[in-house]
Amino acid sequence: MTRRVLVIVGICVAVLLGVTVGTHRALAHKERHTPEQLKIFDEVFLEQVRIGDLLFHGDGETEKKMGVSLSKTGMACAMCHPFASDTHPYEFPKFQEQIEKFGTLRDMINWCIEKPQEGVRIDADSDAMKALEAYVYWANRGSRLDPGRH
Amino acid sequence: MDSLERERRELNTMLRRPGERPDSSVRIDRRTFIHKSILCGTAAGAASFGWFPLLNTLDVAYGAETFKFAWISDNHLYPKDVNTRFVEKAVRAVEEVQAMTPPADFLIHGGDIAQLGDPVEIALGSDILKEAKIRKVFIPGEHDWYLDMGATWRKHFGDPNWTFDHKGVRFIGLDTVSRAPDYWSARKMSPKERMGAMATLDGSIGGPWAGVGSDQLQWLNHTLSSWPKDRPVIVFSHNPLYEYYPPWNFWVRDWREVQEILRPYTNVTNVHGHTHQVLYNEIGKMRSIGMLATSWPWPYAPEGVPDLTKCMVRADPGDYFDGMGWARLTVTAAERVQNEYMMFGRKPQNVFGEALADSGCADNVNQELHPRIADRGWYSKD
Repeated sequence: MTRRVLVIVGICVAVLLGVTVGTHRALAHKERHTPEQLKIFDEVFLEQVRIGDLLFHGDGETEKKMGVSLSKTGMACAMCHPFASDTHPYEFPKFQEQIEKFGTLRDMINWCIEKPQEGVRIDADSDAMKALEAYVYWANRGSRLDPGRH
Repeated sequence: MDSLERERRELNTMLRRPGERPDSSVRIDRRTFIHKSILCGTAAGAASFGWFPLLNTLDVAYGAETFKFAWISDNHLYPKDVNTRFVEKAVRAVEEVQAMTPPADFLIHGGDIAQLGDPVEIALGSDILKEAKIRKVFIPGEHDWYLDMGATWRKHFGDPNWTFDHKGVRFIGLDTVSRAPDYWSARKMSPKERMGAMATLDGSIGGPWAGVGSDQLQWLNHTLSSWPKDRPVIVFSHNPLYEYYPPWNFWVRDWREVQEILRPYTNVTNVHGHTHQVLYNEIGKMRSIGMLATSWPWPYAPEGVPDLTKCMVRADPGDYFDGMGWARLTVTAAERVQNEYMMFGRKPQNVFGEALADSGCADNVNQELHPRIADRGWYSKD
């Protein structure tokens, strides 16, 4: 067996091993979830909902902890959106008149922070944004998905 | 039977219940009729014309002579250095009331002059209102009350409930905010925490705080007992005197008792604040009109919007004057009361949403909402 053939065989074995390992990983999350796992998933989500709810309702301590400044007018999101009503998360993405572009819920959250609340916009992928998004979606769960609707 | 037909029948049943309506006929104009038809998604026939009430024009008997009065409420003022926009809007409303020609006989302030009951906020509001030189009367809102349990508000504005007769109408101011069940002592809340809980419309800590209370119900009964049953009564309250949406305290918890007292009186109009939106309803013989705020608009509640309400336009959040304003009410010698929503920057015909997408009610057809969880036990210090 030449040296060249040995190298090719070696590569094939390595690829096969990789595929096998990858397959194992791919199958791992397809096993049935245990009640304990589901409980953990739920807790992770609801923790974000709770944080988002506090931010949405202008809780100063939570803002401080997360290093964000969402309002300088005393206003909080919930003052115009009790129960996150009229936030319409199920309509995004869509053309949003206020920002004059096709935008996402995160774009509109930042618009509200900057305009009515005169706060400092937050990074679109920040923990604070994810928490706000979690609360808004959670509060509107069960709504009918209707993207693009104005 | 299609949905429009069902709605017409329901309205007809409700409006024409023998002995359960205000005694003057409700009038209709073309604009109201067209609006309702569009919202129902079809053109309605002339046969249903008389079934839809006109929001702006209400009949009140025994108006001895024409006079006007004005309503301002829900300014939610912070100290000036925190929020200047709310100050601007309150000032504008007062200036517009002062500019009325002929002048209003009086101005009723319907509560929530302050946001957090801070004496600085209440004093600011009091100063702004001084620019209206006409007679002024006041009822409190919950935002005025729960920092010091009304002490500062009383110092500036007097008793929270009162009555007077004016040109053939008995006016009554009710206090619907000061009788909250004690939610603060067991939780050992500070006055600021107590006020903060009350200032959160969709919070659950304050519970069903809005109420008239048995002592004030007795007072109301006594106050009305000397008044002829067929003469006009106008009741001012911060909260609606019917059950609209209790999770946001868009009601008073003892509204049934209130209605029992008002039942013998055939001409009762309730004017209320708190909901920051155009509302109209009829309960028994009482008509009820919701007033605009000068601070911010509340969305319509996810359920319970009275069928008789023509919804206001969706406010543009990019224009902080939009959807805000005050009201001008005229009691005429021709036995009518007219209510005009004075929405900043909008002509009267643009107060109500016409197209589905522009109506504050009709644009929420896909929405399902859920109460909060984060404030449950939030203040628990046990």
